[in-house]
Amino acid sequence: MNSRWIVGTGDYLQEVLLIWQQAYGQGAPEKIEIPQLRDYTFDLSPLDALSPSDSEVFVAVDERFGNFKRMELMQAVMARGFKLASFVHPSAVVGVDTKIGMNVFVGAHAVIGHTTRIDYNSVVHAGVHIGPRGRIKSSCWIENGVQLGSAVELGAHCTIRMGASIRAGVNVGRGCELGWPRLYEHDVPNKTVFDSRYGEPIHTYGK
Amino acid sequence: MRSRMHPNYYLSPEIFARERQKIFRKVWLFAGLKTLVLEHNAFITRTIAGIPVVIQNFHGVLHAFENVCLHRSALIQTEPVGRRPLVCPYHAWRYNEDGQVDGIPECDAIYRFSESEKRSLKLREFSLRTVGNILFVNLDESPLPFEEQFSESFIRLLESSSNVYDTEVMVTTWHGHFNWKLAYENLRDANHPRFVHPKSLAQTVKFVPQVNEAAFAESCEPLRDSSPSALRQEIRRFSYGGADAPIDQMQHFGWHERVERWGGQDVYYNWLAFPNLHIASANGGLSFTLEHHIPVAPGRTDVEIYWFTARKKQPYAFSQQVLLAQMHGSELVVGEDIDVMEQVQKALHEDAPLPTQGAYESMNRLVERWYTELMETDCEL
Repeated sequence: MNSRWIVGTGDYLQEVLLIWQQAYGQGAPEKIEIPQLRDYTFDLSPLDALSPSDSEVFVAVDERFGNFKRMELMQAVMARGFKLASFVHPSAVVGVDTKIGMNVFVGAHAVIGHTTRIDYNSVVHAGVHIGPRGRIKSSCWIENGVQLGSAVELGAHCTIRMGASIRAGVNVGRGCELGWPRLYEHDVPNKTVFDSRYGEPIHTYGK
Repeated sequence: MRSRMHPNYYLSPEIFARERQKIFRKVWLFAGLKTLVLEHNAFITRTIAGIPVVIQNFHGVLHAFENVCLHRSALIQTEPVGRRPLVCPYHAWRYNEDGQVDGIPECDAIYRFSESEKRSLKLREFSLRTVGNILFVNLDESPLPFEEQFSESFIRLLESSSNVYDTEVMVTTWHGHFNWKLAYENLRDANHPRFVHPKSLAQTVKFVPQVNEAAFAESCEPLRDSSPSALRQEIRRFSYGGADAPIDQMQHFGWHERVERWGGQDVYYNWLAFPNLHIASANGGLSFTLEHHIPVAPGRTDVEIYWFTARKKQPYAFSQQVLLAQMHGSELVVGEDIDVMEQVQKALHEDAPLPTQGAYESMNRLVERWYTELMETDCEL
């Protein structure tokens, strides 16, 4: 591989760069900042200077807009012919027969249980514990120290905030945000948001 | 001039009970969105003026019933929104579209009801009116005509705008510590946004308080006629809507192209349906927020906040995030309003000074004139 880049925006871009540099020293990729404009679209022009041949890209955008902005940039990068990298910190403990998709980030001291599957574009921050037989679908964001029991399933585009723990066997629907620091003991319907600014969950009905 | 509203109107449990009888169990009240009950067996539940109500779709026809099983008084539908037959989860009594019991497991063997007893088992049904995609319920046995409570032009506008509501709906509830009347008083006060929302709503929309000379003069006079027809005539003007204020340099987002916009002007639309419904569109008909103020106790009001866009041209993956971004945007504005109303409520006590109102507050003064007449006399709607 001739070139590797971390492409993205915001604090998370810088955080990924520093983590990568600390873990791998000189072998770390170069950072490419992609500005986000006032209407929240990306200015993709910095990608024009990069050649997709024999190169890898990691897309680093935080959970904004339900992780859709990270996915949007990832798709733009793929459309230009770049291959996508993943990052698993050397201190993470990854179980037997786990599957980790492209553009996945696994932070320091994370523990991924045996046979757990993490789909593309998901972010597992430092210190997260995911039990065995779990399934993290695409474009999720799991913050530091979150605990997931065995066989927990997260639907696509979930955001799990610090302080959340999910009991074994619980299914969390797609597009959910678990932002109240507590134990989630029951299945969570699609598109349910527990945001700490609100005293009640935010529900979404219909489609 | 002094307000007619004694602090007791915001503090007294006895007044709260009187309001429930004389207003909330008499008038048409917002009960939900038709977009949430489009399919057979789809239902919504809520508590209206203390009564649990279920609105259920029976093969395309909506009915509103008291949501209490006639057997052991359990709630029949227990979720706020869902889809299942009208069957009580306690002992599986089943009800049909007339509210009649039409199935009791082992009825003859263990209940031994006579035929006439069985025939008499019927849920209390309430009057239901659909305006576009908005559902109204009236709890009174002989409800006042809908057209007496709301003007023809208001109904037309509400119907036209709500017909574009999308079927994806986001909703949450705030538990406010203030009296429900403070909410409509605040909403009818165009002078507050620049002070309460200087860094949020007032940044984009310029509300200008106006003095209506005729309404001002009238609001200083006592109500001359307190007959039911006069009181109904009076209530009609408390509900109104339409373009409220211009939006300077409306920001454009990609999702705007994905919905069928209502209206087309870059204005802030407001609809106020007395006594406790507010609908607004802060982007000229591209999306809507619906606020429902539910009286819980003299000093407690639940504020249900709904968000939906105009109808999607076709489904798109991130539509929930469009609603969530707007919910969070309104969290700031709603939070600012609730903060100030809770401060007002906190300052109230029996001997608190009566508010001093200005000429621009004449609509609130007209509502107060009607309200105090209703509360302090034997007259009825």
